Amino acid sequence: MNLFENMTLAFQNLKANPLRSSLILIGMAVGIGAVLHVVVLGEMTQKNIKERLEKLGSNVLSISPGFSWRHGQRSSTKTVNLTWDEANDLMTQSNVITGTVPLYSGGGDVAFLDKTWSTQVTGTTPNYKVINNDHLIEGRFFNQGELDQRARVCVLGATVYEKLFKNGSPIGKTIMIKSKPFQVIGLLEAKGESWSNPDDQVFIPLTTAQGRIFGVDHLSGILAQMRTAQDYNEALFDIESTLRRNHRLTDELANDFRVRRQDFFLATIQETNKELAQFIIVIALVSLVVGGIGIANVMLISVTERIREIGIRRAIGAKKIHILIQFITESMILGFLGGLFGITGGLIFNHFYIGEDLSLPLQWISYSFLICAGIGIVAGIYPAFKAANRNVIESLRYE
Amino acid sequence: METLIEMQDIAKTYTTGGVEVKALSHINLQIKKNEYVAIMGRSGSGKSTLMNIFGCLDTPTTGRYLFGGKDIQKLNDNQLSEIRNQKIGFVFQSFNLLPRVSALKNTELPLVYTGISPSERLKRATEALKHVGLGNRLHHKPSELSGGQRQRIAIARALVTQPALILADEPTGNLDSKTGEEIMALIQELHQQGNTVIMVTHERYIAEHAARLIRLKDGQIESDEQAIV
Ligand SMILES: Nc1ncnc2c1ncn2[C@@H]1O[C@H](COP(=O)(O)OP(=O)(O)O)[C@@H](O)[C@H]1O
Ligand SMILES: [Mg+2]
Repeated sequence: MNLFENMTLAFQNLKANPLRSSLILIGMAVGIGAVLHVVVLGEMTQKNIKERLEKLGSNVLSISPGFSWRHGQRSSTKTVNLTWDEANDLMTQSNVITGTVPLYSGGGDVAFLDKTWSTQVTGTTPNYKVINNDHLIEGRFFNQGELDQRARVCVLGATVYEKLFKNGSPIGKTIMIKSKPFQVIGLLEAKGESWSNPDDQVFIPLTTAQGRIFGVDHLSGILAQMRTAQDYNEALFDIESTLRRNHRLTDELANDFRVRRQDFFLATIQETNKELAQFIIVIALVSLVVGGIGIANVMLISVTERIREIGIRRAIGAKKIHILIQFITESMILGFLGGLFGITGGLIFNHFYIGEDLSLPLQWISYSFLICAGIGIVAGIYPAFKAANRNVIESLRYE
Repeated sequence: METLIEMQDIAKTYTTGGVEVKALSHINLQIKKNEYVAIMGRSGSGKSTLMNIFGCLDTPTTGRYLFGGKDIQKLNDNQLSEIRNQKIGFVFQSFNLLPRVSALKNTELPLVYTGISPSERLKRATEALKHVGLGNRLHHKPSELSGGQRQRIAIARALVTQPALILADEPTGNLDSKTGEEIMALIQELHQQGNTVIMVTHERYIAEHAARLIRLKDGQIESDEQAIV
């Protein structure tokens, strides 16, 4: 009796009890469909987050001013204690900080023709683009020469472009920033939101921002790029010791600045998402186990119903192993078909309901089939042994 | 003629609910190749038990059973299955066919377990069914056939492996007398073609077809005689 014949026989027997077979198939299908779905959604979300993390610029710390101390008294406002020199200091004082970018940001209206938009005006240096891993859709970022000359040039964030231009190239156009004309030289690719919207900004040279727009000589923040994410603790130590020394803070005084990880927010989401996915996988696996128990149940009933058949087969020369294989094949096919329906059902569901053609990883499809067939086999072992070890005469006499 | 079956002091005891039932005791006999043996006896006298032991479906509690010179007690389950498959053809009172498959599939079933190729199986099963007069019913299922036709399938299935021994336990028990006679004629024909046949029957006139008659009473051989031909 070869495999093909066993399969045919198994199909015949499953067909003989269509209702029961299909009920159990539905159970299996739902189980495996759920598992696959969770896996795919999980992988998609992970991918999404990873892409965003990459866009945000990795390993970047953001330093912002905190409450300052005067004569041992804490000031009531976050004040003016970060300077451009300090930004350069940090780089020379630390081995693990590979680059810093000084920032000055303030609110301001921007206007083009009849459109006005209230946004964030950020003065910075050409290095900003590099450290933040920014990409330009069009044009270029401003360069060192423009920075030195306090040039009136600007680079638009995606949201600002959307509000002022909607479509068409903005390059070469003149917009008003806080009522002063600026020439647009670049347009940034959208990054997506994290805790703030980085796309709702317009970038100008730091010198221009400090001297011509806001009239200040301090910074509102510094971005510091670490060599690797593992350098976090050392970088933090270097930043703290440098800034505390510069600000002449005595030991009993707290920091008058704050350091944040840019990617912290997303990393947290990623962790949570991973845990959630694992939790759902556990639930889905439970439903698979339930499916397996269902198969075992069906097989036990099937064995009882076919005791006479078993007797006949044994009487005319079937060995125990033949009976064993017959029943295990049957339950394996149940599992396999369950998997097949689950996978196709899941794909169809994804296609029509979620509307996204998930690239279901091929490796997961094959895993699913293996898992389903495996569940079928395991579920069939006990019933099959019961069938094979039945007494021949008693089976023949069974009514 | 060569001895096919030899039984030495065979006994079979069933224990149900603490009560021992001696289904067979002190059975001594020899059956040669190409014999035609009828077994008679009242209901409960042990005929089926004896047939099951002949057919290696069951093993005796004590005694020695040699089939084709082989001591059956020394064989394992696989070897017994092989003997049942290759050397014995069993015809039961209740037909014992698989209900959902065709006459052809039922007939070729023993060959499936012998490991014969599908095409060869088909050929032999068709031949066997033609032999029992069912050449035009190959694809009918048992439920679509009469009792006599069902028993013919069972006989074809018993024949298809060309076994050394054909066992028939009340093969006409579920049939009307006319159909029963046709089946008897068929079995007799098998004997004349050189098969060894052991048959259990209630009917005296059916037993008369046989050349040898063994009577059982309370699990023992009451008489064992060659019929006067
Ligand atoms: N599996 C069994 N368990 C218990 N007793 C049995 C079993 N099979 C047969 N017997 C008993 O053995 C005796 C002989 O039975 P059996 O060989 O079937 O008789 P027959 O075929 O001559 O009618 C009977 O008393 C029957 O009740
Ligand atoms: Mg009987």
